[in-house]
Amino acid sequence: MIEIIATAESYEQAKALLDNGADRLYVGGHPFGLRLPESLDLEQIGQITKLAHQREKKVTVACNALMHNEQIKKLTPYLSKLAELDVDTLSIGDPGAIFVLKELGFPLQFIYDGGTLATSAEQLAFWAGQGACGAVAARELTLKELITMQKMLKQPIEVQVYGPTCIHQSGRPLLTNYFNYTGGTAQAEKASELYLRDPKNENSQYPIVEDEEGTHIFSTEDLSLMGQLKLMVENGLDTWKLDGVLCHGNQFVQIVALFDEARRSIEAGTFIAESFCNRLAKIQPEQRPLGTGFYLKSPEDVH
Amino acid sequence: MKKIENKPEVLAPAGNLEKLKMAIRYGADAVYIGGQAFGLRSRAGNFSYEEMTEGVAFAHDRGAKVFVAANMVTHEGDARGADDFFKTLKSIGVDAVIISDPALIVVCFNAAPGLPIHLSTQASATNYKTLEFWKSIGLERVVLAREVGIEEIREMRRHTDIEIEAFVHGAMCIAYSGRCTLSNHMVNRDANRGGCAQSCRWKYDLFDMDNGEAKSHLRDGEPFSMSAVDLSMLHHLPDMIDAGVNSLKIEGRMKSIHYVSTVSNVYRSAVDAYCDDPEHFSFDPAWDEEIWKVAQRDLSTGFYYGVPTEKEQLFGKPRTIPKYTFAAQVLDYDPDTHIATLEQRNNFGVDEEVEFYGPGFTHFKQTVRDLWDEDGEPIDRAPNPMMTVTMTVDAPVEPYFLMRKK
Repeated sequence: MIEIIATAESYEQAKALLDNGADRLYVGGHPFGLRLPESLDLEQIGQITKLAHQREKKVTVACNALMHNEQIKKLTPYLSKLAELDVDTLSIGDPGAIFVLKELGFPLQFIYDGGTLATSAEQLAFWAGQGACGAVAARELTLKELITMQKMLKQPIEVQVYGPTCIHQSGRPLLTNYFNYTGGTAQAEKASELYLRDPKNENSQYPIVEDEEGTHIFSTEDLSLMGQLKLMVENGLDTWKLDGVLCHGNQFVQIVALFDEARRSIEAGTFIAESFCNRLAKIQPEQRPLGTGFYLKSPEDVH
Repeated sequence: MKKIENKPEVLAPAGNLEKLKMAIRYGADAVYIGGQAFGLRSRAGNFSYEEMTEGVAFAHDRGAKVFVAANMVTHEGDARGADDFFKTLKSIGVDAVIISDPALIVVCFNAAPGLPIHLSTQASATNYKTLEFWKSIGLERVVLAREVGIEEIREMRRHTDIEIEAFVHGAMCIAYSGRCTLSNHMVNRDANRGGCAQSCRWKYDLFDMDNGEAKSHLRDGEPFSMSAVDLSMLHHLPDMIDAGVNSLKIEGRMKSIHYVSTVSNVYRSAVDAYCDDPEHFSFDPAWDEEIWKVAQRDLSTGFYYGVPTEKEQLFGKPRTIPKYTFAAQVLDYDPDTHIATLEQRNNFGVDEEVEFYGPGFTHFKQTVRDLWDEDGEPIDRAPNPMMTVTMTVDAPVEPYFLMRKK
């Protein structure tokens, strides 16, 4: 069974995503969830969960922050609320949060989302041993590695099939620091969508975002595995995540709908990758090139 | 009277056997090194098993410890051979291994039961529950993420008794260590497997997109950079010690003998001074003076007293720091003639102002008045690397004293 997971930024978008093929919505909010299209509060998460459950769909709540003492202290009441709201799964990267969840003994499942640190089947097996019912794979892995890993693991590995990926997380306000140094107006400038470019690589264009947790830098390209979906399914990689952190509203819904159509077409045996790739290119935001990131590289290419 | 119950260790980096010995001679209670595999410093001189064996024997003879960093984040296949590696480390008598990857932790538990494991800073431990988690798994120590503040450490100490190691000196990642793959994406080098290209220290354009046109947000020709200045908690050691830190870590397995000996010497002296008599402790300006002789960037307190501002990043022209060069190492000294035998490390000569320093925070300035080569022939300069020379010194020196010049 192929599962499509999509980030949701609002109740309205959640509804549209469910109408258009999402099986699971990924939501969350400050200060426990990182890099989300919108920070949602518990009430919004509750409404979205109710909606999803009415349609027999699921909700994962992002608890993927690197937590400091202050967050850990607030985590217990937050998790209690989430348990009351009957959300289905949490995504956790901080071992301290896993420890808290175990202590509480809530019937809440979690997937391990360790970002850059989830790179082998043995690691993921370790987290499965700590109770994880699945795991998010690091974006720096190749498909070859992912396929090998999934064969070795009982738990599903979630693979990002669409969207930007975070390539740097700093605890520092790097934009504010720059603007303060140069005497700019940090507040106004941070409001615009900013990019970094490495002068040695003209085509580079890395989105840079500052929030309460620090600074996040994203990849130049939006990952797309549209062309590789069939290969993934044949090899047991059938948990697909679409990340709309930089792509909002209906545009993202359309992209999710296209991946849903691709799924049905694969199931029907009529999938033509080129055709779907073309259609994706047409609805893709203009300033965001599509690419396959590390997925099609050979493991030996990166060292 | 205030008494220090838990005197922390001074933990120094050692890129090779010579540095290991120097760090310990200059006061380190423990050193951390890299093996031939599974580490993150592929370009630091890493230790063979034979060198490790010699290093461990040297350390243990002097009551010091040796930790081996195996902090790579492994991909499929990378962990091959790790069981033999840990087994061998244990049989050599290594005191602990530093690991961030749980796959390697499991291999280590199985292959070398009883070999203590420290969680690497790459795993970003930032709260007390995370410390408790790793304690419950069986780790003996956690190296904290550099984003943790002093108050947070105090609170961690109240909640858990696992050993806490924290950085006190050296270069810093601007990202949460381990959470940066700039190198992977920019130059196909895996930062978490030893390939970090220091992309955070590069210069970047900063712009927004206005109808497909890039509009620059750079000002005054100042490129955007994420480069951090270095960390130094030298002025705040009482805070670190009172907060309950068990190990004070100095960064820098790639650093020179001059650096490692100087920094170890200073921290040894300062930690001893505080722990011996915390109530009457006062900061010795000579420590500061020494530290600046090997500083490579401006120094700051990182996250210990709050989130770093622009003052803790390298913008504009870097501050000019007077450079000192490692000039020679003392091989021997004759107290009757006051003549020291030296091994040259950098060109120096007669009439130059130099400085000798040795373990125990000993140092004195000296003018080179005379110089002889190996055959006792007077010479003006010592131009050849590793050549043996002799000269008269005004104060006694001992083997392994070092000589630097401006």
